[in-house]
Amino acid sequence: MAGQRTGTWFGFGFCGFGQALGAGQTRQVLGPERLQAPADLLHVSAGWSYTALVTGAGRLQLSGAVCDEADGCEDAWAAERLLVVVRGRELQGWAPAAALHEKPLWTRVLEPDADPRPRALPLLPGAYVSPRPPFYRPLPGGLRARRLELGSEHALLLDAAGQVFSWGAGRHGQLGHGTLEAEPEPRPLEALQGLSVARVAAGGWHSVCVSESGDIYIWGWNESGQLALPTRSLAGDKSAIGQGTGELYTWGWGKYGQLGHGDTQSLDQPRCVEFFVAQQLRVQAVSCGPWNTYVCAMARENKTKSCL
Amino acid sequence: MAEHPSQEAPPRPSPLWGDLRALLPPTEEELKLDLGAAVTSSEVLLLREAIALLYAGRARESLQASEAALDFAWEQLNTGPWQDVDKGWRRAYALACLLKAVCLCHEPADATTVAEALKVCDMGLLMGAAILGDILIKVAAVLQAHLPPRKRPDRDPSLEQPLVKKARNGPLSTPDMEPESTVPRIRCPSLQHFREHFLLPQRPVILQGVADHWPCMKKWSLDYIQDVAGCRTVPVEPEDVGYLAQHQLFEQIPELKQDISLPDYCCLGSGDEDEITINAWFGPQGTVSPLHQDPQHNFLVQVIGRKYIRLYSPQESDALYPHETHLLHNTSQVDVEKPDLEKFPRFAAAPFQSCVLSPGEMLFIPVKHWHYVRALDLSFSVSFWWS
Repeated sequence: MAGQRTGTWFGFGFCGFGQALGAGQTRQVLGPERLQAPADLLHVSAGWSYTALVTGAGRLQLSGAVCDEADGCEDAWAAERLLVVVRGRELQGWAPAAALHEKPLWTRVLEPDADPRPRALPLLPGAYVSPRPPFYRPLPGGLRARRLELGSEHALLLDAAGQVFSWGAGRHGQLGHGTLEAEPEPRPLEALQGLSVARVAAGGWHSVCVSESGDIYIWGWNESGQLALPTRSLAGDKSAIGQGTGELYTWGWGKYGQLGHGDTQSLDQPRCVEFFVAQQLRVQAVSCGPWNTYVCAMARENKTKSCL
Repeated sequence: MAEHPSQEAPPRPSPLWGDLRALLPPTEEELKLDLGAAVTSSEVLLLREAIALLYAGRARESLQASEAALDFAWEQLNTGPWQDVDKGWRRAYALACLLKAVCLCHEPADATTVAEALKVCDMGLLMGAAILGDILIKVAAVLQAHLPPRKRPDRDPSLEQPLVKKARNGPLSTPDMEPESTVPRIRCPSLQHFREHFLLPQRPVILQGVADHWPCMKKWSLDYIQDVAGCRTVPVEPEDVGYLAQHQLFEQIPELKQDISLPDYCCLGSGDEDEITINAWFGPQGTVSPLHQDPQHNFLVQVIGRKYIRLYSPQESDALYPHETHLLHNTSQVDVEKPDLEKFPRFAAAPFQSCVLSPGEMLFIPVKHWHYVRALDLSFSVSFWWS
């Protein structure tokens, strides 16, 4: 199903493999630059060494350490060790180095989903994709998952009722259950009981969620200031958030310009990416790669609209 | 204004660069990447690029590529339990550290840059795996030689006195010990005697006259260690106490290895000489190693300061309440000098031996013998794990 997104895509951060980000001259871009991409670009998913662009017409473009193009792709999810592509009723898992010209590592027929909302990889109906085997992982039957995000070694799930679950390794506190123990199965976050969560996101070793009322909760490794709390030393991971007003705030590890403030400073407090304000652009969508950020924004209208 | 040709020429490499470059394989082709299947092709690509740029003399660009390769490898090293980290990633990390350290020194480098390069080398040594014939050790030695002599910071003189009560936690005084439970001492036993009376029956003993003439006994002081290793980066825990514990310091800083020897009695074991693990234990007064057991025999040599040590036989294990988890099953739950006897009632009656190990003495801790250690002074010990 072809989707549409009006707006212009920008990118900033690491592009040391020549992935579509800036003009292609440098290894990193420190402030937002227009992405050289098709006008009907719909989805962006970035691994460390390559980026996957999917257009409304179903064209998939890979750039960086992997370069290839293919048609008939509705969605793509890029991880360093696995590229997942949705092509019609088929889910394909590729070794990125093999791009799209050899055989995929595995394929799976997707059941027609009763849920009319578009799929959001790595979440699948009743399951999710993992970049490490087993690639296809069923979710417990009772869960009505709305959204799923993967960190380096943990997973976050948001269900239809606004409850957050987490599982995987917990040595950096990224699971949010109050211990450093690993959890083999999705476990609800007691600390967020009673809160209706609207969005979840995961960094390498930290987790973020936003409540319906607009409060942000962050937990996990604060080595880079990604928890937006003071830290002694800075170097690590980042968070980005688009507010209802269409402003983008970023914080955390900034060594490769992925915070978009025109420098390589890491921050332990959210800071507005001034570029979009100065250009009078309202941020519509954000896609965080491990070391870079892709943003879709469109020109503001004169009257302020309600949040996205 | 006349144009000076030198303004357009690339910066001239420093003499330090020449010394470092000489340590690398002469050609790019000879620098073999042997990273294994777990390291992603993207990382390999980046490392090859960094190497190519380096050999082409484009150090600044090589540095950029090396940094990215280093940062990505570091992320892999921090993913999952340490023992599960693939050795290939550790090699990749070490290689990236090597490239970064060398690139940093391409242009004439000030002391800060050389110190930074040395720190990068040390990170490669601490977290990476050996590459290219221990090249990082050689690079570290060259860098260290190019650093200006260290200014010794003013030290608190009370640190050097053994009896100052500065311990952070736990009892402050030298413990009272009952004579009958003291670890016996013996002077220079023959191999035969040691084997028959202590090794085979697995009985702890303090050997005197064996290590007391090692160069470290005379040479090692805070000043000396500062001179030899003050500029190096080592792992300590916790950060604010600064206990360098269970670290293979002598692999990282081979110069210090010349001040110690391998105890002759290790030849009574079945393992090879190069399988013996030598660890350094260097920290302030008051550091504690909780009661635990190790899977190998241990010769613990005391060099600086004194340590209070308590030993329990493996037969007493039940009375020591080991942790249930697999990770900690060789560690007791009991705080030896402040036991919770309500929670651990059997501990009180468990028989033990104890001692105060002094400089020049070597304690034999048989395999699986439980031991608890507290530093009574600023202390430096060297342990030899052998089988």
